[in-house]
Amino acid sequence: MGTSTDIAVVGWAQTEMVRHTELSETQLLVRAITAALEPLGLTRADVDFTCLGSCDYITGQAFSFVGNLDAIGAWPPKRDSHVEMDGAWALYEAWLRLQEGDIEIAVVTGSGRSSTGDPALIYPMEMDPFFLAPIGADPLTFAALQARAVIAAGIADERSMAEVAVRSRGKGSVDELLADSYVRQPLRRHDVPPITDGAAAMVLATGERARRLVERPAYITGFDHRTECHNPSFRPLDDSPSTRIAAEAAGLGDGPVEVAELQAAFTHEELLLRSVLGLGDDVVVNASGGALRANPIMATGLCRIGHAADHIFGGGTRALAHSTSGPCLQQNLICILEGRS
Amino acid sequence: MTRLEENLITFPYRRSLGPVTGAFMTALTEKRILGIRNGDGVLVPPMEWDPATGAELPHDLVEVGPAGTVESWTWVPEPTEQHPLGRPFAFAFVRLDGASTPLLAPVDAGSPDAMADGLRVAPRWRGERVGRITDIACFVPGEEPEVEGDDLGPAAEPVAIMDYVASITYRNPVPPVFDLVIEASRQRRLLGFRCPVCARVYVGGRAVCPIDAYEFTAAEGVDLPHTGTITNFVVVTPVQYPGQTETEPFARVFVLLDGTDVVLSYQPVIELPVEDVAVGVRVSAVWASPAEASGSAGGMGGTWGSLIGWMPSGEPAVDDPDLVNRIF
Repeated sequence: MGTSTDIAVVGWAQTEMVRHTELSETQLLVRAITAALEPLGLTRADVDFTCLGSCDYITGQAFSFVGNLDAIGAWPPKRDSHVEMDGAWALYEAWLRLQEGDIEIAVVTGSGRSSTGDPALIYPMEMDPFFLAPIGADPLTFAALQARAVIAAGIADERSMAEVAVRSRGKGSVDELLADSYVRQPLRRHDVPPITDGAAAMVLATGERARRLVERPAYITGFDHRTECHNPSFRPLDDSPSTRIAAEAAGLGDGPVEVAELQAAFTHEELLLRSVLGLGDDVVVNASGGALRANPIMATGLCRIGHAADHIFGGGTRALAHSTSGPCLQQNLICILEGRS
Repeated sequence: MTRLEENLITFPYRRSLGPVTGAFMTALTEKRILGIRNGDGVLVPPMEWDPATGAELPHDLVEVGPAGTVESWTWVPEPTEQHPLGRPFAFAFVRLDGASTPLLAPVDAGSPDAMADGLRVAPRWRGERVGRITDIACFVPGEEPEVEGDDLGPAAEPVAIMDYVASITYRNPVPPVFDLVIEASRQRRLLGFRCPVCARVYVGGRAVCPIDAYEFTAAEGVDLPHTGTITNFVVVTPVQYPGQTETEPFARVFVLLDGTDVVLSYQPVIELPVEDVAVGVRVSAVWASPAEASGSAGGMGGTWGSLIGWMPSGEPAVDDPDLVNRIF
């Protein structure tokens, strides 16, 4: 849906993205938030609303977001919220909150320290507890089954998937990669995301305030997210209807986009999402390297929106960012960002 | 190098299965697989609601399989501890005969070369079935179901509840200032950190001033007094949940340190019976002998390192009605 109040991304920052950090999640957030605010000349005292996205299961601590509040400077008491979702959904909540019109500045974050546990053992426990978690249904298995469906539909093949990997990571050759063995047929190591620790923080501002803070705000002109049912048994895995509906609702069809940042953790997901979104070859997809280069779970989606905003800050006109959650692209979020002359 | 502290966290869940999943699980103990009618189709596993519309489905359960056809599959060359088989196997979407949706299930095929779309498979049942999806140990190529070992028969009662234990090992970095606090406690020092921005002092090895988001270093360390006053307290009557080691009611108190603005939360008391715990009681720190000292945090605040709690100092109690408000 559109919005009558101008709400814009005015800045963002991410921590170093590494396989293993010695910093706690709170420390990551302290640094990301400071790095996002400082270039704008803002302090934590200027922030009217915060919304943090993180996951207790990844952190290994119930109510871990309470500890993360140490990073936002919550004194005097502040308006604050939390989503057990990627920071992209925290951004959605902040965007809704700013539409009330009584406040001007919001900070949202996404943070995940995946190296705290073993993702291969944690994610199966987040699945349906009756039919899926007890058999250890894991993300690689679901991704492989979706990849097979996408290949069968003619949307991808192992070579085009390897091409996505080479382009995203900026290294290797397709032929070399295709000589590797499968980790889950038809997926090879290069089709699979890295395990990454990191956090991101983003600053939103309304109307005039946004224009005073930066020369070229990245206006959010469309924002929507939709979900499908949980169990992939009941879904068409060679399609992503929730992505399509969210994109329509966000107004993707109202005009061309120059860039798209897609949260495609697996190579075939990028090809499926491109197809569902109808992105032509003229659209630059995941110039950042995407989730295949750095995959800080709970921040990966927010980083997509950040990179799309960078395109607008740099003079671009219209950009699309996508985030996802759940097995086989269960839930999908689309954010359209625009610059104005 | 930052120290990592390893914790095993176990969440024991007990779930109600409801009328549809419960019937499915009960049937598994009878070596039968149920689906549910949804219009012209049959959903397996059965759902209480139409996955597309959310409409509640009539409880029209029908038996499917037991054999079925592989619609898609992937090979798991290195199973984890959570996987149902300890040797390489296939995860497959198995369309059971009579079903219109595929069930995700392990197939014990020996080799990926034995797997193919269209492969006919049948369940290998566990001999002892308890009403869980894992009563199907896996599927095997062929038309005929098998049973592992002795068949102990169906459940005596309908299966209504499922226990599920989620256990995960986490490795958390210990902030360096926390180790400084532990080390100081070995020397019977109560070390805090003073924020250079707001001048507030924090105890317990908190790495960050939560007001100014300032990250502490050794330079901000300050020694704190070992005496204080109880400002508030709670008496906990322990519930015997898994992991609870206390059996008798016990107190946790908040201690305002003398001459400071520092409150320690959830502190244990020593030589202070529960009935004598009160706001205003004067206390002093109790330190462990080296043999008793722990290297870990007490959780929810609590004590740390060689600080093990607080005992009455014998001084007269403080009579101040505002004390009770000081919990941080």
